[in-house]
Amino acid sequence: MSKKILIVDDEPNIVFSVEFLMKRSGYEVVSAADGEQAMQLLADEVPDLMILDVMMPRKNGFEVCAEVRNDQRLSDLPILMLSAKGRDAEIKKGLSLGADAYITKPFSTHELVEKVNQLLQRRSEEE
Amino acid sequence: MIEKWSLRFRVFLFFALIALMVPALLGSALWFAAGRIGPESVPHLVLWGGAAGFALIGLVLWVWLKFDDHVVAPINTLTSDLQTLTHTNAEHGIETEPGRYLGLLAPAAREMAIALESAQKKLNQEIEEATRKVELQRTRLETTLRDLNEGVLVCNMNHKILLYNRRALNILHYTGEIGLNRSVSNLLSTPSIAHSLEYLTGQLEIDQSEPEFSAHVVCSTSDGRHIIEGQLSLILDSDERTATGYVVTFDDVTEKLAELAKRDRILRDAVEGLRAPVANLRAATEMLIDNENMDDEGRRQFENVLSEESDHLSKRLQELSQDYREIVTGHWPMSDVYSSTLLNCVVRRFKAEDTIQCLINGDPLWMHCDSLSIVELTERIIRKIAEETSATTFELEPRSEKDKVFIDICWAGELVRSGMLDSWLSESFDECLKGMTGHDILENHKAVIWSEAQADGMAYLRLPLPLAKEDHRPLSFDLHGTGGRPEFYDFDLLKNLDNNQFSERDLRELTYVVFDTETTGLEPSDGDEIIQLAGVRIVNGRILSGEYFNQLVNPGCTIPASSTDIHHITEAMVSDQPPITDVLPRFHDYVGDAVMVAHNAAFDMKFLQMKEAVCGVTFDNPVLDTVLLSAYIHDHSKQHTLDVLAERFGVEIEAQYRHTALGDSIATAEVFLRMIDLMKAKGIHTFADAVAVSEKMVEFRSQQARY
Repeated sequence: MSKKILIVDDEPNIVFSVEFLMKRSGYEVVSAADGEQAMQLLADEVPDLMILDVMMPRKNGFEVCAEVRNDQRLSDLPILMLSAKGRDAEIKKGLSLGADAYITKPFSTHELVEKVNQLLQRRSEEE
Repeated sequence: MIEKWSLRFRVFLFFALIALMVPALLGSALWFAAGRIGPESVPHLVLWGGAAGFALIGLVLWVWLKFDDHVVAPINTLTSDLQTLTHTNAEHGIETEPGRYLGLLAPAAREMAIALESAQKKLNQEIEEATRKVELQRTRLETTLRDLNEGVLVCNMNHKILLYNRRALNILHYTGEIGLNRSVSNLLSTPSIAHSLEYLTGQLEIDQSEPEFSAHVVCSTSDGRHIIEGQLSLILDSDERTATGYVVTFDDVTEKLAELAKRDRILRDAVEGLRAPVANLRAATEMLIDNENMDDEGRRQFENVLSEESDHLSKRLQELSQDYREIVTGHWPMSDVYSSTLLNCVVRRFKAEDTIQCLINGDPLWMHCDSLSIVELTERIIRKIAEETSATTFELEPRSEKDKVFIDICWAGELVRSGMLDSWLSESFDECLKGMTGHDILENHKAVIWSEAQADGMAYLRLPLPLAKEDHRPLSFDLHGTGGRPEFYDFDLLKNLDNNQFSERDLRELTYVVFDTETTGLEPSDGDEIIQLAGVRIVNGRILSGEYFNQLVNPGCTIPASSTDIHHITEAMVSDQPPITDVLPRFHDYVGDAVMVAHNAAFDMKFLQMKEAVCGVTFDNPVLDTVLLSAYIHDHSKQHTLDVLAERFGVEIEAQYRHTALGDSIATAEVFLRMIDLMKAKGIHTFADAVAVSEKMVEFRSQQARY
């Protein structure tokens, strides 16, 4: 069974590319346009990995990250933060709030796929 | 007792005693002789004895007269000469002629006088020299402080201002509340100053070999509109351990901070804001490249993304470059320049030439530019136009339009073609402008230049320059006073302690605002209005000629000709002046918590109080009236007009200032200061004393009015 990835970003153009990229790499994809929508989706179903943007309306990526880590059911969901905020302090903040990886925009699609594969592999090894 | 008698009287008594002894001794000698010789000798003895006695008394009298004339009188003269010499006038000199019978005493005194005189002269010279030096240093200090580009405030530990300079005034003077002996909290939000002081004085208390004496302060003005940044330094006592006051040197950084914030925002936008669109572009591009065999639908969608994102990116870049232009040119050093100063520089450059003549038209305006490069550019352009169009006369005129000041160069002749103008602007200036071109200069000023024909048939070249950054309208109080140097400081306030109860404080120590109004008439309740309001401050017994308040007021009604005859204020003079609702709150700030003094204060206070409600201020300050005080000091039945008082006290009111609110305020203040001295002599020392006698005079006058 293919792994499921949740993409959360408010910009449809990046969602479109990443979705295409992930599907091509053999993953199943669901997407949300903001943090609240993402939390709703997570309530119904737990994906295998979440690609999370930081700056979004309603609920931002940091909040989503913190909520996910506080939720027992979701606590070991791998989170890959994908953000236009590229300062060291912000990267550190993302990682401390519980992100497993932090990639700044713009990014190389190869690198993104590699990171996703890596995180999923690590998780299956842990299990 | 005897010492108190004059020398002359004592010498007289001495001779009188001898004169008395003559008949007594002679009489008793003859008495014995008559006893021995027998009664027949009595007539002879009486005759000869009497003759001898009278001769002797005559002799004593004669010696006394001589002694009095040649010894006693000269000693007296010499004594008074020596006294004058010692106590008042060293050049007085000593005459030797009257003292010629006193041996060497008079010459010796004379020598001493001469020595004293020369010593005194030398001393005076040295004092004069020292005073001159101090004065010179003082002037230098004043000049330095006055023209310093930073604001300077010196305060005592009670936060009362002892010194401020012109720049501080410009930065902090919004409502007229800056002034000597005023609290600094009227001007600045004090927590950050208090914190710096706490920190520094704390440093002093810790036993440190080299404590810090100054700290960095950033705080806002009390109205919150401006942010100032600067340095706060302690003023230490001679023991170097106790602070007696502090100095704040500061600058207005509001604009600088706003500009920095803007710069930060633009940089952040440039870096962070472009990440997302570039990421979108890159991801889509990589998808297209990596998936050559994508179906047409997919390819079309990705191409859509590419086109959308490129579009978005171009727009962002456009916005950024707009913002960038605004900040990047903001850093060429520029200052506020008065157009007449700048244009006169241009005119002077053609003064020696017959071929080109420049004139300046219009009212001068303030603008913000680099004076030198604009002068150079204007000069060059005029020369080029003259060459090209053979025009010889150029008119220069500053004009204010929207948010720019246009420098218009106007001549009779052809326009300048835009291509021509461009080629002129491309030529570089020599080393005085470091090889800049006309284009560079315009770029620095965010300006463009063009030539156009106007309705008057003349050709124009228009150069728009930025508006002045600061408000250059004259301040509401007259900095230059009415002659003399403005007083910006009073270090005596360093020791001014506020611990006395107000009413028990010495009249000399209090701060006063002596004020006067000019009005349209005498009845405020019948609709008469204030048309001029002026005040002067007295601090530490000194009239502060640097802190006058003087403001014409638009009364919003006609000014009767009969009142114009008195104060010479016409309707034309007040038509563009602020209304009382603007002026009175400012005056209220100016007065602060000072004692208000006026000549016939009840009249002026009535006018102020009529306007309190509409202006939203209340004057509940203590008030003194110079009419009432004069009635107490002098005979109450006398006249107490300001003219009479001024004459009585030798206060001169220059004719041009008489019956102006400011002139009368100054005169009243001078009179009031002299009254304080006189009252002191009559036992009136404190404010409470002065109020008590004023009340007595009010009572007395109302009783008089009843009869």
